[in-house]
Amino acid sequence: MRRAAIAAALLALFLCSCAPQARERTVFAMDTVSELRVYGGEALLDDAQEILEGLEKSLSVTDPDSEISALNAAGSARLSPTALELVEEALELCRITDGALDITVYPVVRAWGFTTGTYRIPGREELKELLARVDYTGVSVSSGTVSLPHGAMIDLGSVAKGLASDAIRDAWVEGGAKSGLINLGGNVYALGSKPDGSPWRVGVRDPFGESYLGVLEVRDAAVVTSGGYERYFEQDGQVYWHIIDPKTGYPADSGLSSVTVVGREGLLCDGLSTAVFVMGKNAAERLWRSRGDFDLVLVTGEGEVYITEGLEDCFTLSGTYAGKEVKVIRRG
Amino acid sequence: MVKTRTWAAVIGCILLLAGAAAVWLWLRPAPGHVAEIYSDGALRYTVDLDRVREPRRLTVEGPRGVNVILIEPGRIRVESADCPDQVCVNAGWLSDSASPIVCLPHRLVIRLTGGAGPDTTAG
Repeated sequence: MRRAAIAAALLALFLCSCAPQARERTVFAMDTVSELRVYGGEALLDDAQEILEGLEKSLSVTDPDSEISALNAAGSARLSPTALELVEEALELCRITDGALDITVYPVVRAWGFTTGTYRIPGREELKELLARVDYTGVSVSSGTVSLPHGAMIDLGSVAKGLASDAIRDAWVEGGAKSGLINLGGNVYALGSKPDGSPWRVGVRDPFGESYLGVLEVRDAAVVTSGGYERYFEQDGQVYWHIIDPKTGYPADSGLSSVTVVGREGLLCDGLSTAVFVMGKNAAERLWRSRGDFDLVLVTGEGEVYITEGLEDCFTLSGTYAGKEVKVIRRG
Repeated sequence: MVKTRTWAAVIGCILLLAGAAAVWLWLRPAPGHVAEIYSDGALRYTVDLDRVREPRRLTVEGPRGVNVILIEPGRIRVESADCPDQVCVNAGWLSDSASPIVCLPHRLVIRLTGGAGPDTTAG
């Protein structure tokens, strides 16, 4: 009987020890809500929260005490190593995308009210004057100091969450975690596989509805979606969304409803999702062919779905999209 | 003899566990129809939407303001809130939505749990 009890206890122990424990936390920082899940110790969540709160403090354009606000106010400032590296990487993305991403578009975005929530349509003259200040090539970085041209201001909001997800991933990997899911207000990073070894299933939001249009099965990948539905206002029957074309000063009108970028680095995917939304499908295809470090899911204004060939085996449509055709963009 | 009894006990244990698992699976609410209401990161309420018979309201007082949540059979929404942006109210019903309802100013989150859907949603 004693041996039976020991056998039963061992069996119970075996059944319990199979699944590593998931730890979850919701963090309010960086102007969004973040959902964190990791298979490992509680300290990993503390690290992640610290990263998010630290980056918010350093990068927020709406916080007058942030490093970026200080830079925008003074026109020149010495930045912390993290902020400096982010500025340099963001400028590189501006170059790669030929200005479809431009971190100096902030004065225009502010004029539309997208940073404050007090929406308005700026006048033509006002936009013309503001656009004259938009030019990322005028930003210079030299020995730890960033200098802006006269009247220019930068906003790193288009890359900050990507950087944050990379930083959390690095901290988790260093802390011994093999599996986790980071969702920073819709900006996803999937670490490793699920504990059972299967890939993480990441939904891609339907730009025309509240649900998701398809699912990506990924391992060790960032999945970042940009769309007009994220922040917009309506006036006289016209919809104005928050992604501004740095060349026109008006909401980007490239024929795309949403752009999802999948890759190894959150920062790259984050910046590219905005840039591709601005540049449109044809330019995006050229950019994708010239590089090998990301893949795309594009949804056009008519609801057509395009994917680049790297996602052929891991993307499936679902819900009302199931059965629709997915057009594959190929290199050849 | 002792050996037979040991194995009988082990098999008995397995059957008992299987039975308990079956009862738990049978009794637990249908996945995807349980709403969790979080305030300031902490789980405050769990509502099985399939067991809701009559519409009712739930007032959640958070550290920064009040959200009035309307619960109806199978669905849930924020009916009113004294937050500045009203994003939570405009989000409408949470029934098959992929993304949670979020009231950022009040740090309120309502989301559906489990279900056959993806692990998380980008966008």
